[in-house]
Amino acid sequence: MEKLSADVLVIGGGATGAGVAWDASLRGLDVVLVERGDLATGTSGRFHGLLHSGGRYAVKDPAAADECARENVIVRRVAADSVEDTGGFFVTTPFDDPAYADRFAQGCRDSGVPCQEVAPAQALREEPRLNPRISRAFRVPDASIDVWKLVWALSRGAQERGARVLPYHQAVAVHRDGDEVQGARVRSARTGQELDIEARVTVSAAGAWGGQLAALAGIEGVHVMPGKGIMIAMNHRLVDTVINRCQMPTDGDIIVPIRTVSVIGTTDVGTDDPDDHTVLQDEVDAMLEDGERLIPGFKQARALRVWTGARPLFEDRKENGASESRDVTRAHALLDHRERDGVSGFVTITGGKLTTYRLMAEETVDAVCRQLGEARPSRTATEPLPGSEDGEYYRLAERLDRREQHLLEDQLICECELISRGRLEAAFRQRGTTDLDDIRRQLRLGMGPCQGGFCVYRTAGILHGLDGIDTEQANAALVDYVAERWKGEWPILYGDQLRQARLDEWIFQGILDIEHLP
Amino acid sequence: MSPSLSYDVVVLGAGVAGLSAATQLAEGGARVCVLAKGVGSTHLAPGTVDVLGYSPERVEEPGGALGEFIAAHPEHPYALMGAQAIAPALEWFAACIERGPQPGYSYTGGLARNHLLPTAVGAIRPSALVPETMAAGDMRAAGPVCVVGVRVLRDFYASVCAGNLRRAGIDARAVEVDVDVGRVEANSLGLARCFDDERFRAAFAARLAMLLRPGERVGLPAVLGLRDPHGAWSDLQRRLGHAVFEVPTLPPSAPGMRIYNALVHALRRGGGRLVLGSEVRGVEREAGRVSAVRAHTSGHETTYHARWVVLATGGFASGAIELGSDWRARETVLGLPLRGMPPAGEPRFGADYFGPQPMSGVGVAVDSSLLAQDTENVYVAGAALPGAMPWREGSGEGISLASGHFVAQAVLEHEVAAAAA
Repeated sequence: MEKLSADVLVIGGGATGAGVAWDASLRGLDVVLVERGDLATGTSGRFHGLLHSGGRYAVKDPAAADECARENVIVRRVAADSVEDTGGFFVTTPFDDPAYADRFAQGCRDSGVPCQEVAPAQALREEPRLNPRISRAFRVPDASIDVWKLVWALSRGAQERGARVLPYHQAVAVHRDGDEVQGARVRSARTGQELDIEARVTVSAAGAWGGQLAALAGIEGVHVMPGKGIMIAMNHRLVDTVINRCQMPTDGDIIVPIRTVSVIGTTDVGTDDPDDHTVLQDEVDAMLEDGERLIPGFKQARALRVWTGARPLFEDRKENGASESRDVTRAHALLDHRERDGVSGFVTITGGKLTTYRLMAEETVDAVCRQLGEARPSRTATEPLPGSEDGEYYRLAERLDRREQHLLEDQLICECELISRGRLEAAFRQRGTTDLDDIRRQLRLGMGPCQGGFCVYRTAGILHGLDGIDTEQANAALVDYVAERWKGEWPILYGDQLRQARLDEWIFQGILDIEHLP
Repeated sequence: MSPSLSYDVVVLGAGVAGLSAATQLAEGGARVCVLAKGVGSTHLAPGTVDVLGYSPERVEEPGGALGEFIAAHPEHPYALMGAQAIAPALEWFAACIERGPQPGYSYTGGLARNHLLPTAVGAIRPSALVPETMAAGDMRAAGPVCVVGVRVLRDFYASVCAGNLRRAGIDARAVEVDVDVGRVEANSLGLARCFDDERFRAAFAARLAMLLRPGERVGLPAVLGLRDPHGAWSDLQRRLGHAVFEVPTLPPSAPGMRIYNALVHALRRGGGRLVLGSEVRGVEREAGRVSAVRAHTSGHETTYHARWVVLATGGFASGAIELGSDWRARETVLGLPLRGMPPAGEPRFGADYFGPQPMSGVGVAVDSSLLAQDTENVYVAGAALPGAMPWREGSGEGISLASGHFVAQAVLEHEVAAAAA
């Protein structure tokens, strides 16, 4: 069996795990990162895209608000290329308790969330689709963040400093010798081959799957309850500013403009299984109604897809455990298992939210360094990620700009997301994948209104033309992608999006007849 | 007061069902006007006439399989019309194409046996009546196949097509030809216009000829001309010295547009009228009859009175039937009752893309004469009919042509009876 060894093994390739890998690499540690799927396909890849200003927690949880406010400033700087500076509004709609607005303003002042009240008329000038009956509006520095771009930048940065990143590798065993964790065995989802990774410290950054991983290490009482939330993507930018309802946080009260779409979220339902992606009709209906409250006519827009994400909600069930993680006012939990369980070489980071991924990573690697007995300060608050060196935010029109420069040289393959043949071929070569879903996360292939109707056949054809790709692989790429996209479409098909789906059926079944591929 | 016009029949919809019904009505002596919001599915469909391709296994002989299919699907449009409605409709269609504006262009086949034609991914798709330009692609025929990609056309990939044909045991390979069309990308329509030009064909054939091996049948994307496809196809065969066949690919569909052109030509020749860009905004009713529709066209409204209305507006794909965010479906043009909706609380779609899709059979409720429920003079044809899954069954054009023919005959019989009385 092949073996690798490293200072730090990170299990989990979401924003937190990739953040840990980047942080540890910057501190000069040798890192291996494993992820059971592609990077950012767990909770990170299944969220709405909001970089919090902290406003959401200003009343309910001032400590979390303060944390978000600080991290917002840092992430905007070090990961600028993943951030679109949309800004945000908190608005009091006729459905909200009008008394909350003053508590909100006070909460922001107390917790350091930058917040400025603006006249409702001003908010409506900037966002004309907003409910015209809003009575108060506050401007905050919310932003939208492209999590795939972020996680790749983290991963690329770590790799440039020597880290080895292994997507599609699932931990199947944690190596434990007495009171010491010494690494893990991982299995490739692609080849089935197993690999032993020896590490001085193993970090569980598995989020909602953290309880399962702790159990694999023989550690009890790490209970991570997955909180399932649904999100719906509408087919264009209904707003260009993040819109929050000014009320105690609840379901369906945020709309985030991200890339070419707007996402409304979310709900919070306890579940046992982080891989449970069931979407209930009631949840969809309620979410669409919530959209109407913020944006009258919301339901007339095309609902592209619905998906769920699993928040990791940590609860420490260990008897006589360390007290630090018990009285958590902060939403994330760092478990140093040497202190908590007397098991060295193992650290769990769970809970939290994407906005604080960097802080979570910093605290985690601090704990790793304590275990290693080495003093190595974190540099992630000041060191920009690859692609963000110039500090320039992502702009919505970037892709169109680039496309227009090459209009006459390169074929356009995905019209919705402006992806050219050259970029597609480069992505295939760079990723070495035949899974169109991997390419989707990198280029947004098939994420627009037609959900792959036109671009997927083209992409499979282009893939087939690359060296070493056979027809079975091209077929699988095509059929798997179509079936995968359908999962997020069917629970919310209505109106013009149903028309689109029917056209896609004509293409895939009537014209191409992919159901009867040999 | 808006202008008012009077016809014997107003046909709503300019797809295969609407245009074929209207043309046959016009040919039968009726004064007909077709009102359509836009062109129908012709521009999207492969341009073949599929009658019954899967039931659910691949059907070799559609004529022979229809009896069993109808028995198993008593709500299907074919069951309402009867299998005997199909053959005369196909005959009329084939004759209509031959009399069309594209000299020499014809269809071949019928109910006896499906052609087994390659799709653009190299799956093998059964179809009853096909353009002559596709017939040589029948994969039952022996001999090697060369599938030709055209670099500039981003909607066709010869290597996937040939690769899957090989996996199905056919001796197939792919080549790619690079031709200059003045830009880096083209769709089927743009390339079809190029192929109408003899000089382009000569240059294309010269490049392709070098790549071919003796005895190969040559598969090209379905772009061999719009104005004169028969001329373009025969010319290419002659220049190459190989049998050539077209393979349908992503929309827009050149073979489908040829159908549209032929049907519109026939409609006009028969004295019928077509008003594209018309949206029905209002309906006048007298008892159980729709006596007139008010249509909005280029900024003005016209009232069209008619003794008969043929609704051939299509289903969900065209927007004629709509599912709202309240999960209720409605027919948007005349507000007619629907049939086939899954009961509230039941799933509308299945999680498995290739599995059963309960919503698929929704259509306008009709009686066995295809009269819409609760009306005395509104006939329904084409994809608006309930009970079918055309893209799965391979039955779309068959249903459209048969129902177009069926309702035209029904209206003409009423007119003759009325005249006699």
